[in-house]
Amino acid sequence: MLLSPRSSNLVLPHRPLRLIAGAGVAAAIAALVALVLLAILAAAAGEPSRQSSVDVWHLVSMTAIQAGLTTVLSLLVGTALAWALNRLRFPGRDLIVGLFASAIVTPGLIVAFGLLSVWGRAGWVNQASLALTGQPLEVPLFGLGGILAAHVILDASFAARILLARLDAIPEKRLKTGQSLGLGAWRRFEVIDWPMLRTTLPGLAAIIFLLAFTSFPIVLLLGGGPANQTLEVAIYAAVRLDFDLRGAVTLALVQIGICSAIIIAASAFAPISASTGGSTPPRWRDGTAARIAQWTVLVFGIVGFALPLLAILIDGVGPGIIEVASRPSFWKALGTSLLLGSGSALLTLLLALGIGMGRAASGIPLLRVGIGAPAYAYLAVPAVVLSLGAFLLVRNAGMLPEVAAPLVVLLANALLSLPFALATLAPPLDAIAERRGRLIRSLGLSDWRQFTAVEWPLLGREAGVVLALAFCFSLGDLGVIALFGTEDFATLPLLMYRALGAYRSNDAAAIAALMLVITIAAFVLLPKLFGKLTDARS
Amino acid sequence: MLEADHLRFTHRGATRHFDLSFVAKPGEVTAVSGQSGAGKSTLLDLIAGFLVPSAGRLTLAGQDLLPLPPEQRPISILFQSETLFEHLSAYQNLELGLPRGVTGGRQKIEAALNEVGLPGVLKQRADTLSGGEKQRVALARTLLRDRPVLLLDEPFSALDDDTRGTIRTLVKSLTERQQWITLLVSHHVDDVEALATRRYQLRDGMLFEG
Repeated sequence: MLLSPRSSNLVLPHRPLRLIAGAGVAAAIAALVALVLLAILAAAAGEPSRQSSVDVWHLVSMTAIQAGLTTVLSLLVGTALAWALNRLRFPGRDLIVGLFASAIVTPGLIVAFGLLSVWGRAGWVNQASLALTGQPLEVPLFGLGGILAAHVILDASFAARILLARLDAIPEKRLKTGQSLGLGAWRRFEVIDWPMLRTTLPGLAAIIFLLAFTSFPIVLLLGGGPANQTLEVAIYAAVRLDFDLRGAVTLALVQIGICSAIIIAASAFAPISASTGGSTPPRWRDGTAARIAQWTVLVFGIVGFALPLLAILIDGVGPGIIEVASRPSFWKALGTSLLLGSGSALLTLLLALGIGMGRAASGIPLLRVGIGAPAYAYLAVPAVVLSLGAFLLVRNAGMLPEVAAPLVVLLANALLSLPFALATLAPPLDAIAERRGRLIRSLGLSDWRQFTAVEWPLLGREAGVVLALAFCFSLGDLGVIALFGTEDFATLPLLMYRALGAYRSNDAAAIAALMLVITIAAFVLLPKLFGKLTDARS
Repeated sequence: MLEADHLRFTHRGATRHFDLSFVAKPGEVTAVSGQSGAGKSTLLDLIAGFLVPSAGRLTLAGQDLLPLPPEQRPISILFQSETLFEHLSAYQNLELGLPRGVTGGRQKIEAALNEVGLPGVLKQRADTLSGGEKQRVALARTLLRDRPVLLLDEPFSALDDDTRGTIRTLVKSLTERQQWITLLVSHHVDDVEALATRRYQLRDGMLFEG
């Protein structure tokens, strides 16, 4: 009988150590997920059956409505922005593209605060209205409107950058054919752009829905009360404010179930990876009417996204910064944030490399899925739920939460960044194995030589992107630290949230400005630095 | 002598079966030609160890090669493309052909580059080299690896006519001087005419001499 070998196993270099390391990391992560879930389930069973005050169905429907509206609006605005950016050439275009790309790392807390700085009662618009007309301009920021506005600012910008990359990838020959046929702006969008965009939209919609469904700081700041609470905020409130552990556990289980269902559904769609590189517009320009529409969309987009950030920078560099800088708690929180950010970024990179290289070394599809899947499990276990599970584990182990807090926050932040890190590193690692596997194997390169001579030089920029993403996610996190933070153990977002709670808005503005500057610096510089260090691409 | 005796293989889900036998001698270029899709690359993958035959023998001077994984086979391969790591310099690419910690590595690399008529490109990145220069650097690496069998997978297809002639001459002279057993697969009649000492046609999964 003739046998058919698994040819891919032979084309790929034989790397048992990578497989063991990848499988080990995956198993450890899966075990941690299982432990978190078990801790939550055990807590639900062990709690005294006092009446919980949480209204699960109201929370689920509120969260779903908010996330659904966010998704639809973000995709509409994001598509329009991508269309405008793809067509227009102007000085500073790269800066604007970079600005929209940075939406993925801009902390929700900062955007929410920026909205208040522009549209709030003491914000720029209201002040201008009072000065000009003597009448205040009441913009209802607290409630569903404010939540949607903040989400759309972040998620539409994120969508615009992803969709712009799809439009940039349209083959030159297709554009030349369209131009030679004299297609108008609408026909061009319908015939050339839309086929490129539509395959990305379902996966993108799933990600935006998930981001909005699990949003924490924006809802916490702009929710305006229990009527607009989402599951994530309700869990936090149940643990931290109401001490209703049974209610928190019920909500956590509901949240995990819904997020898992969304992830399983999303896995059927084309994968989405973060786009942070440059963008080149095609030479073919649309007619005058379309160009007016494109400029209008772009100006509104820039004002919508950049104005809140600009307000934070301008308001932050004021008397508040001196007052904040005079407090020891600020320096302590800054040090903690930077340490946690750097630590979790490094841990994320190591975990993602371990998993990514293990996956790429395997030619067996099931093993590849087995090694990769646990990294994505944390999409289903949002920050507050993960913190709740970790909180329960630590308590069950007889430890004081404040003792375990630094390690838990570091680990939780790394795990929450891992899906994005793996989505960034896994495709190039797979491509190297696929395209270079034969050559590497025929040359008999060792494991270490394969990494140092081939993979690391080619992955330098992606490694920088992973470090930047993980650092920024950790720097802006409020979900994990909210449960574990204490007077002695606080990060900048927690300090900012406390300042807002104490009506010290100058302090909050100064901290927000500092966080924004650090975030943008890390996001811009780290990929460039690592790209230069490895210098593998022309 | 490299000898294949009824190497049998079937791709997963395919209906065509391969049953391959051939002989290739040192100092000679043995050419295998055939139409696109005839299975020329399958033949090379079987010899290189990227595919495992279901039956048959493959020996080099009497030594059974089939149990050996690709990296342990006494074989160098020159692909049509992706033959160098584009992000590395010519020197770094050549260094990968030397065992770790070998003494006099730089001299050996320079000598190999001289041998293929390409001195002075040591520091150049592979992606700045022309197609012909890339193939020369890859041939220099083959010299450094010093393996008795050289497999050529359509190595001249992407080259212009002049460069093609030069590289062909280089391959032929190196094969004779180094006493390599060179196996060329190509669908270009010119390449086969210019290089082959022994010829095979690949048809219906079998090799026919002549």
